[in-house]
Amino acid sequence: NNYVEITKISLNLSNVKVNEVLDVIESKTEFRFLYKDRDLDLDRKVTINVNQERVVNVLDKLFENTAVIYKIYNDRQILLKTVSESKRPKSSLGAEIVTPQQQTLTGSVIDEEGLPIPGASIVIKGTNVGVATDFDGHYSINAEPGDILVVSFIGFATQEIVLGNQDTLNITMKTETSSLDEVVVVGYGTQRKSDLTGSVGVIGSEKLLKAPVTNSLQGLQGKVAGVNVFLNSGSPTGAPRIVIRGVGTINSSSDPLYVVDGVVMDEIQFLNPNDIERMEVLKDASSAAIYGARGANGVVLITTKRGGESGRTIIGYDGFVSVGKMRNKMDILNAEEWLDVVRIGMENTPKYRPGTTPVFTTNDPDLFDAQGNPLYDTDWQEEATRTAISNNHQLSIRSGSEKSSVGAFLNYSNVQGIMLNNDLERISGKIAYDVTPKDWLSLGINLLVNDVKDTEFEEGGGGQVPRRTMIEMPPIFPVKFPDGTYSNSFMIDDAYNLEAMANPVHVLETQERFWHRNQLFGNVYAEFTILPDLKFRTQFGFDKHIREKKEYSPRDLINISAPNGYARIYNQKSTYWQQENYLTYTKEMDDHRINAMLGLSWQEQVSEDSNIFSRGFSDDFFKYNNIGAGSDPDSPSSGYSKWSLNSYFLRAGYTFKNKYMVTLTGRLDGSSRFGENNKYGFFPSVGGGWILSEESFLSDVEDLDNLKLRASYGVTGNTEIPAYSSLATVSSGTILLNGTRVSSSQVNRLANPNLEWEKTSQFDIGLDLAAFNQGLRFEFDYYYKKTTDLLLDRPVPYSTGFAAVRDNIGAVSNKGIEAMVTANIFRKPDFNWETSFNINFNKNKIESLGENDEDIEPGPFWVSGSQTILRVGESLSSYWGYERLGTWGTDEAAEAALVGAVPGEAKRSAEKKILGNGLPDFTGSWINTFRYKNFDFTADIQFVGGVDILQQFYHSTEDRSGIANGLATILYDGWTEQNQNTMVQEIRNQSYAGQNSQIDSHWVVDGSYIRGNLFTLGYTFNQNVLDDLGLNKLRVYASLENAFVIDSKDFQGYDPQATSWEGNQWGQNIFFFQYPKPTTFTLGCSFTF
Amino acid sequence: SDFLDEEPRSELSSSQFFKEADQARSAVNSLYRTGAPSMTDGGVYSGVPTMLGAYMSGFFSNEYAGQELHVSNTQQLTLNGDNIGGYLQDRWGDLYRGISRANNAIKYIPETPGLTDSERNQLMAEAKFFRAYAYYYLVRLFGPVPLTTEPYDSLEDLYLERSSVAEVYAQIEADLSDALYNGELPNVGMVDNGKRISSGTVATLLAEVYLTMSGNPLNVDRYGDAASLAQKIVNGDYGSFSLVQHDMIDGEVDLENSAYNKIRRSDASAQEHIYIKEYDPAISTSGFPRYSYPTGLSQDVLYDIVNGAYQPSSTFMDLYDPVNDLRAQEKQYFHTALEGSDKTFEPTPYMWHDDEAIFETANSGKDQAMLTFADVLLIGAEAIAQSSGVTAEAVDYLAQVRARAYWQSDISTIETSLSGLGVNEFVEEVWKERHRELVFEFQNWNDIVRTRKFPVANTPGEITFVDAVGFVTSQDKQIEQKHMLLPLPGPELQRNPSLGTDNNGY
Repeated sequence: NNYVEITKISLNLSNVKVNEVLDVIESKTEFRFLYKDRDLDLDRKVTINVNQERVVNVLDKLFENTAVIYKIYNDRQILLKTVSESKRPKSSLGAEIVTPQQQTLTGSVIDEEGLPIPGASIVIKGTNVGVATDFDGHYSINAEPGDILVVSFIGFATQEIVLGNQDTLNITMKTETSSLDEVVVVGYGTQRKSDLTGSVGVIGSEKLLKAPVTNSLQGLQGKVAGVNVFLNSGSPTGAPRIVIRGVGTINSSSDPLYVVDGVVMDEIQFLNPNDIERMEVLKDASSAAIYGARGANGVVLITTKRGGESGRTIIGYDGFVSVGKMRNKMDILNAEEWLDVVRIGMENTPKYRPGTTPVFTTNDPDLFDAQGNPLYDTDWQEEATRTAISNNHQLSIRSGSEKSSVGAFLNYSNVQGIMLNNDLERISGKIAYDVTPKDWLSLGINLLVNDVKDTEFEEGGGGQVPRRTMIEMPPIFPVKFPDGTYSNSFMIDDAYNLEAMANPVHVLETQERFWHRNQLFGNVYAEFTILPDLKFRTQFGFDKHIREKKEYSPRDLINISAPNGYARIYNQKSTYWQQENYLTYTKEMDDHRINAMLGLSWQEQVSEDSNIFSRGFSDDFFKYNNIGAGSDPDSPSSGYSKWSLNSYFLRAGYTFKNKYMVTLTGRLDGSSRFGENNKYGFFPSVGGGWILSEESFLSDVEDLDNLKLRASYGVTGNTEIPAYSSLATVSSGTILLNGTRVSSSQVNRLANPNLEWEKTSQFDIGLDLAAFNQGLRFEFDYYYKKTTDLLLDRPVPYSTGFAAVRDNIGAVSNKGIEAMVTANIFRKPDFNWETSFNINFNKNKIESLGENDEDIEPGPFWVSGSQTILRVGESLSSYWGYERLGTWGTDEAAEAALVGAVPGEAKRSAEKKILGNGLPDFTGSWINTFRYKNFDFTADIQFVGGVDILQQFYHSTEDRSGIANGLATILYDGWTEQNQNTMVQEIRNQSYAGQNSQIDSHWVVDGSYIRGNLFTLGYTFNQNVLDDLGLNKLRVYASLENAFVIDSKDFQGYDPQATSWEGNQWGQNIFFFQYPKPTTFTLGCSFTF
Repeated sequence: SDFLDEEPRSELSSSQFFKEADQARSAVNSLYRTGAPSMTDGGVYSGVPTMLGAYMSGFFSNEYAGQELHVSNTQQLTLNGDNIGGYLQDRWGDLYRGISRANNAIKYIPETPGLTDSERNQLMAEAKFFRAYAYYYLVRLFGPVPLTTEPYDSLEDLYLERSSVAEVYAQIEADLSDALYNGELPNVGMVDNGKRISSGTVATLLAEVYLTMSGNPLNVDRYGDAASLAQKIVNGDYGSFSLVQHDMIDGEVDLENSAYNKIRRSDASAQEHIYIKEYDPAISTSGFPRYSYPTGLSQDVLYDIVNGAYQPSSTFMDLYDPVNDLRAQEKQYFHTALEGSDKTFEPTPYMWHDDEAIFETANSGKDQAMLTFADVLLIGAEAIAQSSGVTAEAVDYLAQVRARAYWQSDISTIETSLSGLGVNEFVEEVWKERHRELVFEFQNWNDIVRTRKFPVANTPGEITFVDAVGFVTSQDKQIEQKHMLLPLPGPELQRNPSLGTDNNGY
């Protein structure tokens, strides 16, 4: 604690008030005092004469014989607090110890970083016997076995410890996250949590990193009520989707805004999660409105780690190795069963195609033995996957001196997916430097570089890609024939007429899909203290991405790139910068506290991309390294787009008597993306809070620590539409004419000069409660969000020549409740059990659409058209199709014929209807943390309910058969004359007899599930062991992620949370084959020295 | 402030359009692949939009009917504006997109600087041709449709009412006449005109339009106009066209080099093809070869997937004389066996078999003929007969087409057999030939709708005509009056309340 130790102060004050002394100290040094006015007798007159004394000595003098204790944070901030009379440590800083002794217990009190906590109060419960720790955190108290020690200190959770027979007891105090005095990061500054009027979720790095995450959003899952994290893929290259308080938009993005150290960041999933210090999620209008036009989907504020404390250099290492394995397999046909299906399908053919009588044979000597039995029974799910081994290493060096601090962080991670050849390798480095060269000036810089190389796994589309062929490749084929050639489905002489597919191992091992992503991100700020209460901060931030994709697909992958092969080089570059300036005014006077901020901002982003693509390779050698070797190039293409945003914002918070608080926020945003007539939009919000527990009528309630009511209302906006949407623009390209490319141009949009902001007005009412020394905490929110003036692709008659115009029309609402309860069930020195349960119910409804409330079919488009529909009165993401009533029975032949069907085929309703919903009604998690002696154990259970899954893969694995492998249900549950009461259609060979397949209710299944998200067992070594090792802290842990999933018995896929339509707003829970999500076992350790 | 101004760089803003001659050219170029030309665009499973009528007639089926709802519902005549609404809406949208782009060109080309008068007229003529062609599709498919000839520059007048069939045809006629008589288009075929619209193309479409106007549903007698235009085309006023003839070896037709196979093998025939949808293996490939084999043959060809998306029923094949009609012979119009193997299959179009694409490249650049000289001859024959009686000229026109098919018959015998016929009998002979000859130009259903007659051959090759309405197709479904039009797309009815109710009966 360098600054504390080095700084000497001289004071010569007589008969002045205590607060004047504090003011003088503040003006002469960098120390800043934090206290509640009611805690201190600020008007007490004192006389103090010191010469070149350390501040701690001054404080000792100043508060001698009072109940005031202090604690120094960050080498500068000094918290002052009164220990209540009953708990007052009589020994405070040398004061006498009152009670007689039984036996002397000694030890020290430290925080989680291992730093001593001076001034912590240790009181024997039920007595007024107590002590406070000294400057080094040591204490000594006389107590007897069976006594209960109450250990408390401001900012930390109070602990009760039952004494055994020991004579030493070291106590580690945990930061109290819901303490009234906790400071919360809000937009453009910080606020006391007690002053908050909005709904803000806070997660520290220890919770974010509890699971061995490789993705910065993974750790957010289940930690904040109302924040829905969809981990839709098992691939390390998959992007999680975050939805905060329901989807409130249709054509714009529903992603929240990510702000890292005050700078908006793109492609957040590649940010190194180990660099994150804390995350704040701004959920309601009072908190998010400061981000105005970009706040409607909620805001995630990320604070990254910075330099160390004064006088200390801490070097830390965190690392883990993990092993991922496939959790489950889909139940598909083996070779023998599949051949049965082929045979039966052929036998049934004349029923569907009279006159066609295919003959089933098993003659191909490469695939069958002389008796016609298959030579191979390949488990493609096994062959296409692997045991994935990943590792992650984070090195941090944090150091501080009197006026500066620096932190350097280096990360390497190598993550394997369980599909062959699907890897991600990241090297990232970050450096943060903060310096206070003058009393009135502080400066800082933060620079982050990120280099990610990955082999992308194809998760979209409906072609014969590995995630599909690992199910559909017939098991009778080997991975490679004895001569070393990869098999494909055409390598059979028997007339099976199989669908063309390259085997998945062949594709995974030979197709190249390399991404190389570079990110340069950072900011620099200067903060000027103009007056003690008034600060000005100016900040410049940037986020630059350079991404390159190189692809080659060889000439022998049938139905993918045969016979010509293709190569692609794609470059994408985006440069974002922002410049923001704001004034902050904080003032406390008697019963009044003011926190005000006023600022302005400019932001701009430019994106460019180019694409080169060629087919027609005569050799698989050149690939993208010599794309000119391709004889059949596409036209090269490139694009450019730019948007800018100019904003003015202000926030004023006022707290009266620590009981009543109000926050006003307003932001005026101008965006280039809107029509000429409506560039600017104003986004106001108001929030109020009332701490009931401070009222006299509740002061007698002994166990109540805090009870607060909050309410807010405000408007936020959404601008996330492509640039130039308000303009009618002319697209240019080329078309074929007379054997050459000639230029071609057409107007591609209707102009809408009135295009303006999408607005979300949100009402929130919330309650925070803490009781039993923070042993029970409860947070509850109700919200109603209505998004109006949707930036909708408003349907227009196609007779205009256009399908839609981007317009502000239509409305969507979300209403819901969020509840989070945390209880410290046991608080014993050797055993601690904390349980935390959170849940969010959300109801989503389309209130209105276009001028005529037309249905909109937004896709994803697939077999039988749009798989979802947008209809007034219904929820977003509603599946759309016919109901499968069963299968036609033999006694219904005549009725079936009317719709062109025969018995054995699906029987469907006459009208299309809504078949289900892809967005859940409720989500939540239940997290238990146990600590027993040095062990800690976490059990994290996640659950989702009131949601459906559209199993599109039924199309090709059940509705049709014979040309590819499929689900076992076709053989065992399929219609036969003896088994007519079934939903599954009769086996029918697609190539000979056609098929009957379209989206219907049989594809839809309940998507609710309970997931064993994370189980972690950790061990933290004792100080004496650490001393021997020369370490400050050492923890080792083992964890199991995604251990189990309990889902509907009718669900036939891998994992109930996914999408096969990545990037499609309405693709959630629609599966046309998935990347299997692994169960991962991890061993890790972290230490500092 | 300037900071928030938007200046697109990868696209022009519309105010910058039609400011240079090249922009006008490029706007017209785009019409070659939108609007009416998009009616031959489709996927391997879906078939192309011009096949819808073929499915309704029951004459053609698609192996993927079980997943392609627009196929199954047209085949089963269970179609309505909801169950295939999306598919119909897309077609409606494609056609109006072409119209909208043509409207834009037609409005702004006159004020585009830098064009010579002659080029300006030609570009206007091309744009009008494409506008008319799109409306011609619309009016035949949907009947009365909204008529718009101005580009949309704002959000006004979005909700147009339907104009009558007569009004739509009046617009089509006006555009085509204007293009033909004021367009300064070269009097050559399209193939000889750098594959751009020529006067021959415009004249042929106009002749067909006159013929169609003369039939159902409009029934105004424009046979005379159709006849005189067809005669002018035949006489070379708009370029030199003729039917491709068979190659002969020792006085016998060389079947491998029959006219049909020569046309099939060539890219486009300058002689016989009057309007083509152009394809190129490197720029825009044709999907038609994928329809030339049934799906079971996928393993035997280089394409990964082929599909019998246009497989004729036996009732259709029966329209041909199995012995005397060359078109019905193996590997002329259709085929049923794979070269060099013992694999056989139900007939699929051999006309779309592209040897190189099927076996070597999986990439075809063969153009698709949509208007041919055979059509002109048959339009002429029918229109002359209807307006002037069964003249020698009418007989000659029909005989030219028929004699090429009846390769072992003498043309004079055919002429003789036709000469003595009454007008109605003769016209039916023309219809028969249209059904047999123009099958790859997708004219069968158009002719059924126009004539309200369905061709039936109880004995192969001997066609009689029965009333189309009430006829039971080979799919065992009865054609109703309503099927003479398609239903309006359900989504468009929602979007545009001014359309009123759906077509009668849907």
